[in-house]
Amino acid sequence: MSHSAGPVNTIVKILLTLMYGVPLLWILLTSFKSSSDVFAADATFVFRPVVTSYVEALDGALVSALQQSVVIAVGTTALTLAIAIPAGYGLARTRGWAVSVGLGLLIVLQMLPQTANVIPLFQIFGSWGLLDSTLGVVIADSALLVPFATILLRPFFRAVPPQLEEAAAIDGASVLRSFFFVVLPVARNGVATTGTLVFLLAWGEFLYAVNFFLSPGTYPLSALLAQQVSAFGINWPGLMALAVLSSIPVLLVYALTYRLLRDGLTVGAVK
Amino acid sequence: MSTPAPAAARAAAAAPPQRRPRHQSRYLFLLPALVFLALFSLFPLVQLLRMSLSDVTASTLNSSWLFVGLENFQEGLASGQTGDALVRTAVFVLVVTVIGMVGGFAGAVALRTRGRWSNVLLAVMVFAWALPPVVNGSVWKFLLADAGLLNVVARAVGLTDTALPFLYDQHWALGAVAFVNSWAVIPFNALVFRAALLNIEPEVFEAAALDGAGRWQEVRHIMVPSVRPTMLVLLVLTIVYGFRSFDFIYVMTYGGPGTATNTLPFLGYLQAFSQFNFGLGASTSVVAVLVVLVLAVLYARSIRKEEKE
Repeated sequence: MSHSAGPVNTIVKILLTLMYGVPLLWILLTSFKSSSDVFAADATFVFRPVVTSYVEALDGALVSALQQSVVIAVGTTALTLAIAIPAGYGLARTRGWAVSVGLGLLIVLQMLPQTANVIPLFQIFGSWGLLDSTLGVVIADSALLVPFATILLRPFFRAVPPQLEEAAAIDGASVLRSFFFVVLPVARNGVATTGTLVFLLAWGEFLYAVNFFLSPGTYPLSALLAQQVSAFGINWPGLMALAVLSSIPVLLVYALTYRLLRDGLTVGAVK
Repeated sequence: MSTPAPAAARAAAAAPPQRRPRHQSRYLFLLPALVFLALFSLFPLVQLLRMSLSDVTASTLNSSWLFVGLENFQEGLASGQTGDALVRTAVFVLVVTVIGMVGGFAGAVALRTRGRWSNVLLAVMVFAWALPPVVNGSVWKFLLADAGLLNVVARAVGLTDTALPFLYDQHWALGAVAFVNSWAVIPFNALVFRAALLNIEPEVFEAAALDGAGRWQEVRHIMVPSVRPTMLVLLVLTIVYGFRSFDFIYVMTYGGPGTATNTLPFLGYLQAFSQFNFGLGASTSVVAVLVVLVLAVLYARSIRKEEKE
């Protein structure tokens, strides 16, 4: 029997195509418009493409913002994985009340509104000298994402048969050695999925960056975008050019990991 | 999965029957996370609680705080800010949850079929979901502007003469931002629902077709029951997502016009970082944390239910 689309299915698909296709197309089109064409009704679809916005956007400030974004996203991914991988494994391989308490705590931390974290962290970082430093933002982002990453990783480690480790132990491997050479290679899909998501989330994070960096000169792209879009008299083509430029790395990561996200995300995210 | 699997199979085959559980040594793996989260997640929560019970402004932030008991909470309630924000948050979460869940399920049913259109559409939706909220928020702010695409279309089809004030009207703004939030969560929900739908044995559909079941009956009697456990977990996740959302509000309205889009978490942020009343902002955030605690209990229960089924 065929699962070909009925009329309702087709309507849903048309609706979704419009809802998701148009906004993405719109960013791209607007970024190539000149300021005078942006809101001109006769230039909605037909206009003379210009790269002015990109030329204007691509200055020293943008390059340093891009650099900041890369450092923050890569640093956060590394620190988060370094903490969450052992934690996810530890929670997968221990039993009893400690695990329930630990998981419950992680769930609560994962659900906390980020706006509730930023208030005390601003004060704490102020007294610890972590304000206006990239390290501070990396630490804050990691604190935000470690609970999420640990919860996501745990089922992947649980799926690794314990017999593998018992066999490695009999062959004389230490716990640490069998973790690195037996468990980790088997669970690498989970690590890749989690790493990708952490990278994408850290790339887009802006609340910590906007509040912990004291001047826009050291903002990453996401914070720059957040600052410009909430300002008065928005330069739309410039903003869309900035949006496109911030999305290119996301597109790259996405293209490399789409299959992983599509199939792996649903396994870990729900359980 | 090419190299480790054969090695693993060999290792498993060589394992003698007796088991040697060594659970105690795994606790050490939890240590880095424990230390890190104690310093940067739990300690901040303690500070938040202390701050909510003290008089803290921007100038006294890093000196000693004056203990004032529940004064901040009383101030928030008496001025009506907390109550209003709670109502707005409830409306916001309701809109996000209803559109997010219905849209996600409808999308999953429509995209369950294979074919180029479904595949490309799913990929586009997941990409939109993967984009930073600042990017998505910026685009939607632009689409919803007075001379933005939505208003251009509305005028072209004769729906309205004047621009529809999506983000400038007291009543529209909350709904508009909530809609964009649900737009951002539909791809994820569709993906999770789709995975659950793909788990249904094809024979079930064949049997239903033999019995003469129509499409609606397929959806009602096969698809909905089989995704019910998933639905429960996803429902709590979507509620939490809507509740803690601040990024689209920050980008699209910054809580305005007036206070129209001040949900509870965002109100706390504004009180601390715009009014510089950190004590008041902390007290509002503590209320938000209490709501999260309730949601977390619901979530833990729904997971346990799903793992049982």
